[in-house]
Amino acid sequence: MNTTVFMLTLREFVGQKRSLVLLLLAIVPVFLALIYGLGDQVDQQDWTANFLMDGIVTTLVLPLSCLILGTAAIGSEIEDGTALYILAKPIKRAEIVLAKFAGAVLPVAAVLIPATVISGLIAISGTPENGIVVGFAVAVTLGVLAYTALFLLLSIMTTRALLIGLAYVFIWEGLLTSLFGGTAYLSVRQYCLGTADVISGARPRDFEADLGFEALFLGAAVVIIALLYATRRLETIELSQAE
Amino acid sequence: MNGTQMIEVANVSRWYGNIVAVNDVSFTVGPGVTGLLGPNGAGKSTILHMMSGFLKPSAGSITIGGEPVWRNHESLYKRAGLVPERESVFPFLTGYQFVLMNAQLHNLPDPVTAARRALNEVGMEYAEGRKIGGYSKGMRQRIKVASAIVHDPQVLFLDEPFNGTDPGQRLHMMDLLRRMAAAGRTIVFSSHILDEVERLADEVLVIVSGRLAASGDFRAIRHLMTDRPHAFTVASSDDRRLAQALVGSPTVLAVDLTDGRLSVRTSQFAEFIRVAPRIAKEEGITVRELIPTDESLESVFSYLVNR
Repeated sequence: MNTTVFMLTLREFVGQKRSLVLLLLAIVPVFLALIYGLGDQVDQQDWTANFLMDGIVTTLVLPLSCLILGTAAIGSEIEDGTALYILAKPIKRAEIVLAKFAGAVLPVAAVLIPATVISGLIAISGTPENGIVVGFAVAVTLGVLAYTALFLLLSIMTTRALLIGLAYVFIWEGLLTSLFGGTAYLSVRQYCLGTADVISGARPRDFEADLGFEALFLGAAVVIIALLYATRRLETIELSQAE
Repeated sequence: MNGTQMIEVANVSRWYGNIVAVNDVSFTVGPGVTGLLGPNGAGKSTILHMMSGFLKPSAGSITIGGEPVWRNHESLYKRAGLVPERESVFPFLTGYQFVLMNAQLHNLPDPVTAARRALNEVGMEYAEGRKIGGYSKGMRQRIKVASAIVHDPQVLFLDEPFNGTDPGQRLHMMDLLRRMAAAGRTIVFSSHILDEVERLADEVLVIVSGRLAASGDFRAIRHLMTDRPHAFTVASSDDRRLAQALVGSPTVLAVDLTDGRLSVRTSQFAEFIRVAPRIAKEEGITVRELIPTDESLESVFSYLVNR
């Protein structure tokens, strides 16, 4: 990994609106957990696992956070032409992709994993945790890696990465996956839920995912394949400017 | 001549769908300053981007020192530098940080010294601590040049490098490029301004509508440009009689008097300007206007293409 490109990527995010949106998204589950804690808490494990962790963190906060930073890490540089200053250097494209990937993963993980743990602990306080918080913390970690790799690749392939990413999150994962069971194998969200299920060992009545152990391998495969393909695409990327 | 700096462009074309941006262009560029001259949209940037490895030729090949430029990043960018036309540079970095970053990306043994040298070369030390976001257009151009020469490249590509620079900055940059060329570097720059190319380039490649319209020594091309047929509109106290008088002059190719407007075509621009008022005076005619009508660079270029 090229540390100069990594540090540049981190600096690009400092003070950007994208970083502010990331922070606001991370506050949402913590805020909801605090509100929940103020009321009558009925079946805390169910609420924490299914509503907070699945419905809010894994379905909304996680993919949107990764989408915002994953598509910007190199996509915005390609769009405004500054990518040329990095690409016109004797550096292996794989090193650039890895540095950009790490530069996007680090801030998202640094904000989302604590937000997941804190909101989970607040929501479930007073009752046995049953591995739900740990399970979702691991799931979010996997999700950050897989979503970011996927959206980074998308931003190298198209200038409409944000739009296509939103369609993937809301139409493919949000709608089609719930209608057709087989599509779970092509959903990062389902990999996350499967991982949470396997790690947490939660009772089926509290939480149950469509995928099992294979979710971990599928998530890892997405990361590897997306980064390899991103490298390949970056090797043949064409940058020009209209005269 | 050092073979590692020879750029060979052989039968290169580039098209986007049905649109041909560059059409079967071939040339060789060696050490010294070479200007890519042509009107806006002629295909100069496309050629420059293909030469610098950022666009794949649809047909033909481009090599530097015998090595292909496409998909040869690591070898190419050790030897070459590129100054793009687009202004965008990381606005949150200071000039020094930006040039230093470029030196580090080149994995230079002493990036700090290299960055200082490059900033000194372009005369930007005075503003190196300021963020690039606050730079003027001319300052951005110079910091882009500093970033491209930080590794002392053998080959330097510059896309419209004088855009936005004031006369002083332009002279300074021209002097820098001349010094680099004198030291044996190959410099290729694009411009749509004849004067810039005339002042800097030893060799010129004239690109018009994606084709190589002319190439070689600038004086020879300049000669072609000035000796081409020119058109003038003339307004006088008696256009009809003046037309009769002018048609007898060997400097005049044709006269046309349509709708009361007298147009004259000549192949000898300078001579005609000298002779025409004298002929009018001899005839006792007062010339009120003598205006060249096709002096735009585009018309000069289209003549070169169609000659």
